[in-house]
Amino acid sequence: MSARTDVANHEGTRERAARATTSLKTVTTRTQGARLAKVGGVVVLTGLIAGCAKNAPQDTFQPRGTNAERINDLALPVFYIAGVVGVIVLGVIAWTVMRYRDRGQPIPVQTHGKPALEIALTILPALILIGVAIPTVGTVMALNDTDDTECVVNVTGQQWWWEFDYPVQDGCMPGGITEPIVTSGQMAIPVDTNVLIRGTSRDVIHSFWIPRLNGKRDMVPGRVHNLRMQANEPGLYAGQCAEFCGLSHANMRMEVAALTQDGFNRWAANQLEAYESPVEGTVAADGESAFVTNCSSCHQVNGLEAADGNPIISRPDVGVYPGAAPNLTNLMTRTDFAGASWSLLREECRKEVWEAEPDQFTDRYLEGVTDDCFNEVDLREWLRNAPAKKPMYADPTKLAETGGLYRGMPYLALSEDQIDLLLAYLLERK
Amino acid sequence: MAIIERPATESPASAETDDMVTATSSYGYLRRPVETTGWRSWAFTVDHKKIGIMYGVVAMFFFVVGGIEAGLIRLQLAGPEGTILSADKYNQMFTMHATTMVFLFVMPMAAAFANYFIPLQIGARDVAFPRLNALSLWLFVAGGLFLNSSWILGGGADGGWFMYAPNSDTPFSPSNGVDFWALGLQITGIASLVGAINLIVTVLNMRAPGMSLMKMPIFTWMAMITQFLLLFAMPVITVALFLLMFQRSFGATFFSVEEGADPLLWQHLFWIFGHPEVYIIVLPAFGIVSEVLPVFSKKPLFGYPFVVFSGAAIGFVGWGVWAHHMFASGLGPVSVAVFSVATMAIAVPTGVKIINWTLTMWGGKLQFTTAMLFAVGLIVQFTIGGLSGVTHAVAPSDTQQTDTYYIVAHFHYVIFGGGVLGLFSGIYYWWPKVFGKKLNESWGKWNFWLMIIGMNLTFGPMHIIGLQGQPRRMYVWTEARAGEGFFNLGMWNLVATIGTFVLGIGILLFFVNALVIHRSQPVAPLDPWDARSLEWLTTSPPKAHNFDRTPTVHALDEVFYRKYEDVGKGDEHDYVQRASLEDLMLEEERHADAHIHLPAPSYWPMVLAVSLPIMAYGVIYTSWLIALGGAIAIAAMFGWALEPADAEDSDFDPPAPGEQTSKELANV
Repeated sequence: MSARTDVANHEGTRERAARATTSLKTVTTRTQGARLAKVGGVVVLTGLIAGCAKNAPQDTFQPRGTNAERINDLALPVFYIAGVVGVIVLGVIAWTVMRYRDRGQPIPVQTHGKPALEIALTILPALILIGVAIPTVGTVMALNDTDDTECVVNVTGQQWWWEFDYPVQDGCMPGGITEPIVTSGQMAIPVDTNVLIRGTSRDVIHSFWIPRLNGKRDMVPGRVHNLRMQANEPGLYAGQCAEFCGLSHANMRMEVAALTQDGFNRWAANQLEAYESPVEGTVAADGESAFVTNCSSCHQVNGLEAADGNPIISRPDVGVYPGAAPNLTNLMTRTDFAGASWSLLREECRKEVWEAEPDQFTDRYLEGVTDDCFNEVDLREWLRNAPAKKPMYADPTKLAETGGLYRGMPYLALSEDQIDLLLAYLLERK
Repeated sequence: MAIIERPATESPASAETDDMVTATSSYGYLRRPVETTGWRSWAFTVDHKKIGIMYGVVAMFFFVVGGIEAGLIRLQLAGPEGTILSADKYNQMFTMHATTMVFLFVMPMAAAFANYFIPLQIGARDVAFPRLNALSLWLFVAGGLFLNSSWILGGGADGGWFMYAPNSDTPFSPSNGVDFWALGLQITGIASLVGAINLIVTVLNMRAPGMSLMKMPIFTWMAMITQFLLLFAMPVITVALFLLMFQRSFGATFFSVEEGADPLLWQHLFWIFGHPEVYIIVLPAFGIVSEVLPVFSKKPLFGYPFVVFSGAAIGFVGWGVWAHHMFASGLGPVSVAVFSVATMAIAVPTGVKIINWTLTMWGGKLQFTTAMLFAVGLIVQFTIGGLSGVTHAVAPSDTQQTDTYYIVAHFHYVIFGGGVLGLFSGIYYWWPKVFGKKLNESWGKWNFWLMIIGMNLTFGPMHIIGLQGQPRRMYVWTEARAGEGFFNLGMWNLVATIGTFVLGIGILLFFVNALVIHRSQPVAPLDPWDARSLEWLTTSPPKAHNFDRTPTVHALDEVFYRKYEDVGKGDEHDYVQRASLEDLMLEEERHADAHIHLPAPSYWPMVLAVSLPIMAYGVIYTSWLIALGGAIAIAAMFGWALEPADAEDSDFDPPAPGEQTSKELANV
């Protein structure tokens, strides 16, 4: 099996089943060396299975935005051409191997070649490739155009999570964004809007990749790279850091939540709502002081005040390598945490969000993490011992090389009672 | 080895027996070694054939090491959230798997073939610089062992074989693994560079009379282009590795972003080396199948000049495509477009080779020996890898594919399909030349089919996994991103893991065949395959001096035309065998050259090679070791320069009573 099988399936629709069959035949033929006779049955069967498949959320052949569609429209014909060429070449090889096996024929003419044939067979692939090259150049240029930007999001990679901040601007929503918004793990964008990602990194090279919306772009420390992003319909689009970035590269994921314009406005307004301390005497209120004691030196919660009335500004750069930790002001408006690697929602609620129909997605997503949907298990384990759940260089004592500068959340030796308090407090961060 | 006199014009026996002196009295510590048996005859040899064999044996050892690493990687990824390896160990495993396979298996295996067969194919007695040849070998061995010693000294390198800055810097990779990697590759790099110069000079200067460049066997051509690629690529990686070493060990800031460095510098340096490296890996294998296909098709290579020029074209254009590894790096649209088109352009000469191999078989008389099966396997698998390559020459398409398993699938079809299968073809084809016996053909066929099935089961599903969005270099994959139905990541990851073990069994059969079954194989005839090129115009295994008489070459496929005559008239062709290789050999022996001079063995290449890892350990641990290693290196270089050109005749054993020749016997 090869790539070509996928191509067909990703179309997703029944109308294209016929094309699926063709391309599957291509593949099977290629790998088996043109055993056309057997292929028919396999093709039909595979086609049926493919029709029912629910592909992976990072499937590269299900574009849901103009940029990814552009790539897809360019890539698919190339796959088809490669498939056809492959079938022909491997067919000829198979035929040659069958036809000219030694059956006692005399020693063949010692021909050294036919230059005319050679030249023709050199020019032919060159022509095909010129045909591929021209639209390629056009698409490369189009995908780098930034003139049509309607909304800017700054994206910063850090071992091993993504930060998204929305600078003050006229774009993104009517009236624009009036105060900076900082979030992580999940990036909210309005649908049908040309978003421009301005990306960089605080430590090593990461790569931002939401397959259904666009190809990937490395985010390099010291440089700012542009990446266009646009979603045609509301939904949650999965992505993953694609450039190897060290120990927990596998646990550096991210999602784009595409919301209706109205939904995005509500999301933004909620992010900027003033902080409200938990009601006196509740568990969450005790949680607030536990948070101030244990967490707020690294994790910012906007509006949180110390006993003396001064705002608490987290200063993680004292001990943390790149100098930042995720902002937790609105943690429960996101559906996962720790580099989008663990869910804040119970499995059934998680499915609900991921599988919501486009017209219902925005409302479902904006519900955030409700009390009955809250998945306590993973967050509790995380608070208990983060480095045990996600490999990180989080032990300062073992990092002489960096002067003890660690990264990732260290083991905090919290008691179960403290964890209970913190969970109650965090659950109110909506 | 020294001097071989054959036929003896006079009997030197009595004269020398009387004059026997002990070796030390005449040469002191600078005397050259003369042992012809035992480990010394291998350790200090400068014979290109022995060096070639040792290259092959050590490369095969590292093939097993890299294979075990691959097996562990696939075991870890067989299911979601694998627990066989920790994140740290997994990162070391894939870094060292790639490094080992590229630098310690495929490259030295190709060097083994080049060393052994280039002098034989061009009718030479040895390479141009025999002691440098030994130095290449021992540097490769030293570098490989040094690199792998990191496993017991705190863990292997963990930055990926591409070792992107700044992730390779000490804050992000605090163990010594990357230091071992940088220094180890520096050592093997010297080996490659020395070998490249040596083989280029050999091919350009030491071809037999009559062998113009366009009558040169195609393997020698491809191997020479490879050496030119090495000659220009190795200095680039050398610079990059030095920068990395200074960055990590001596506080330099070449890649420190906070000091204003641009980490993309490393990427450019690495890939300017790294892309030609791909052709360094596959061109020797292309050369091998270009020898094997004509032999088992009973036809000359179709369009020999086209194959030569397409190889040279690959060698040139290969320098202009490096940034296609960086389409997602943020180069800007113009660079991306240019490199995208250049990458498509290189598909043309590559396609020419596939067409020529197919047309070589077309109209032939095909015999499917194991060597031939591997050669046909290469064409098929490489075609698939080449076509998937075109899909990511299209830069926008590549931004969806790069750093996913789709790329892993692609380059394994290219490197394993286009490289390793070719090397195995060469092993089966030339085994009787090197060892005098064929490898068992039925074991060989099992070996082939299990490898082919295994590799397709392993790397085929990776196309699906990658296009379904699974990135590379992840120590775990998760159910949450796996999807359902036919294309779910779970099933195909499992299939890939099963495939790895099928592939592993296939390779195991090779070792059984070579090490066990081989013992009971009958001695092969001189010309077991009805071969066509010059290396067959000698005994199997070849004599120390390769050819009794330096052959004069009249045609490409010289040996075929010495054996066969076309008795057809006009356009009719009828090839009749006029002589067997045994006949030809008798003829050669009858006209054997007198006074054949072979280079003498030397201690110094090995001593010099040993000094480098000592210095490298010094860079990592303590500087006095650098001084010690440096002292040994200087001593070795002086010893090398000052040792006599030859061992004295008197250093050799006296001839056995009644023997006509003296010194040659001492060398057999």
